[in-house]
Amino acid sequence: MEESKLARTDLMRIPAGIPGLDEMIEGGFPFPSVILVSGSAGTGKTTFALRFLCEGAARGEQGLYFTTLSEPTQWMMRFSSQFEFMRPEFFDDQIVYEDLGNMLREGNSEKLLDAIESRIAEVVPQRIVIDPITVVGEMFKDDYRQFLFDLTNRLKNWNATTVVTGEVRPGELYPPEISYAVDGIVLLNMAEELGARRKYLEVLKMRGTNHQTGKHCIDISRKDGIVVLKARF
Amino acid sequence: MNEKDLLLFKQLNAQLGVPLIPGLMVLDVRTTQFVKVELVLLKALLEERRPGLFISVDRPHQYIVHLLTMHGIDCRNLTFLDAVAHFSADSHPASVKVGFFRGPRNIDTLPEALKNWSAADGGPGFDLGKCGFAVIDNLSTLLNFNSQQMVRSFLNEFISALGGKVTIPLLVDRGRNPDLFQMIKEIGAGEISLAPEGASTFSNRSRLIISNSNNAGGY
Repeated sequence: MEESKLARTDLMRIPAGIPGLDEMIEGGFPFPSVILVSGSAGTGKTTFALRFLCEGAARGEQGLYFTTLSEPTQWMMRFSSQFEFMRPEFFDDQIVYEDLGNMLREGNSEKLLDAIESRIAEVVPQRIVIDPITVVGEMFKDDYRQFLFDLTNRLKNWNATTVVTGEVRPGELYPPEISYAVDGIVLLNMAEELGARRKYLEVLKMRGTNHQTGKHCIDISRKDGIVVLKARF
Repeated sequence: MNEKDLLLFKQLNAQLGVPLIPGLMVLDVRTTQFVKVELVLLKALLEERRPGLFISVDRPHQYIVHLLTMHGIDCRNLTFLDAVAHFSADSHPASVKVGFFRGPRNIDTLPEALKNWSAADGGPGFDLGKCGFAVIDNLSTLLNFNSQQMVRSFLNEFISALGGKVTIPLLVDRGRNPDLFQMIKEIGAGEISLAPEGASTFSNRSRLIISNSNNAGGY
């Protein structure tokens, strides 16, 4: 290699922790980046987000979980403790749980942004989750696009990979307001086939990544949470 | 900061020396831990209350100001040189001494700009002669915009512009950038190795080579 040429180092990646997904995206999510996980109710968005944080915690990385639902920690943990990958001790120190509900009710998007940023600066996480981001859209209708632009712009500068979850309406693939601002979109989808509802995962966008396309069957298990199933013929 | 961070702070404090040992040094840090280690490093460097220089080539300087402020670290002795603010759509204000230059593609112009800027009337008035330390956030980013040869020549000129009396600790992920790490060592950098008990010893203080019996990789 000539010394005058750029070295073109590969993007730093961190494993998502979802069995089968990392192989689809060259080993993991780019670090830093903002990834949208979209899907309708019951498709596994929160399970995805928790698995992502627990994977980091198991690797010694700091996590920060923002909930917009005002759900107390113990309530979230009650359900998620059913998964084997969830270790309650992670929530003592390695995963910090932060409720944004009260701040949302104040209705000031600039204050919310500052609160998120201040908490990030305090915790210095490598992995962040905002679950779900779409609640913010319902509260800040007029400011929502500007808020999302500022939020994603700032998140990328904090040297962390952020997963934001987005609830979609029937027939919608992803919340359109945020899709342009994120670096990746992972779609969790449910479809009725032969009288049963099957779940799928699809990577719609992953910047800087030669990712696999198409729908991949998923299963939600007690052991691993979401698992991308290998194609069977 | 948690216990692990405070242990790192103690180790860095011991290795940086009191007063700060001048010269180039390199610390192997995983890319995901850069910001965290940088925070602890700045806390250690700012302990002595000597003026320091912070070069932003990866993210706008306001983020580091915010980070330091949130952790109660006084950054009044820090002067920032920001090479990425003009890329950023973020206009977050921060009340610190700051100069701007066009980079990071024009990194070769920085040492000269630094000399001129330091002397320029109406500038932030940073006195290079009093500079105790300089931090670059972060060197690996420069490889996205410049060849390794250019980064090498920048580092040489940068050290020379600072007059050889300044502590310059560089954070590099050896696993991801082995050539860069090696190049910095070839320039004459001592390596800071961190051990659980802080058992590092100075094998050659004049060249800032800091050796360790347990050289088990980066932070």
